[in-house]
Amino acid sequence: MSNNRVSRRQFLGYTLTGVGGFMAAGMLMPMVRFAVDPVLQQHDAGDYVLTDQAVADITEEPVRVDFTFEQVDAWYTSEVTNSAWVYKEGDKLIALSPVCKHLGCTVNWGGDPENPTQFFCPCHAGRYEKNGQNIAGTPPLGPLDEYQVQEQDGFVAIGAVRENTLV
Amino acid sequence: MHFNSKDIDLYVSQKDYVDTAVVPLIELDLTASGMKASAGASEYLQSLTVILEKQFKGRILLLPPISYVRAADRTELGEQLKKELSETGFKHIFYLTTDPKWRSVEELDNVLWLPAIPTGDMDQSFKKSVMEDQLRQVLPLFTKEWTHHS
Repeated sequence: MSNNRVSRRQFLGYTLTGVGGFMAAGMLMPMVRFAVDPVLQQHDAGDYVLTDQAVADITEEPVRVDFTFEQVDAWYTSEVTNSAWVYKEGDKLIALSPVCKHLGCTVNWGGDPENPTQFFCPCHAGRYEKNGQNIAGTPPLGPLDEYQVQEQDGFVAIGAVRENTLV
Repeated sequence: MHFNSKDIDLYVSQKDYVDTAVVPLIELDLTASGMKASAGASEYLQSLTVILEKQFKGRILLLPPISYVRAADRTELGEQLKKELSETGFKHIFYLTTDPKWRSVEELDNVLWLPAIPTGDMDQSFKKSVMEDQLRQVLPLFTKEWTHHS
């Protein structure tokens, strides 16, 4: 037995502090975990979708590259196929989204016989330069979006869509 | 655009640009012998209209498929559809169907009749190329209509 005996008051004080501390920790820990969760989530290269288009076959002329990924819409999982217009600028790969910035139609490279080196939207005759810059006087109000793109084992891999960085 | 509340909001604000309605017409055959063909035709027509919508999203409104039983009076149905659609602002209305009986119905203009291709048993990539071939046949009909009457 030690000499400093614990009084009833001290004992109750320690016990209540201890139990209260556990309860507070029990409430705070999940909150802290939720708060830092976005920081802890991993982003890996899986965000890129591999296509069957070989990088070696890409020239300065844009070609359509299709890519398929799974999309979950509430309880319904579906395979979605999107496409991109991919071309080389020097050695750099460039992938543009085919979605017209006007009302979302699909644009085609050289779709208008009078402007064979522009993207053409068949819906309301919107036109874009090769780098996605919208041509003034046509309906679209902004440049085509751009995909992040990289080479994986000699094939084109397409990532997230972002605003056009070329214009 | 699809017939859902989000796209309809956009449609209402951009009515001048969205001047074309697409109406799929699907015959329901629920007899034991005709059911599979009917389902296949419906699947084909719906895939086709979905990729058509993707191509021309900003100019067409894709209505949900109008389904009717085999005995339905096509002439009467055609008149009703025409009347309902004439009260909207659409300048161009296309009806897409795989049902040959519509070919003899005079009430509707721009009925595009397509022979159904059973795509159900094809694998994904083959199905995709078949559907894109089909789409390429339909696209010029739309652009022709637009350039002639605009």
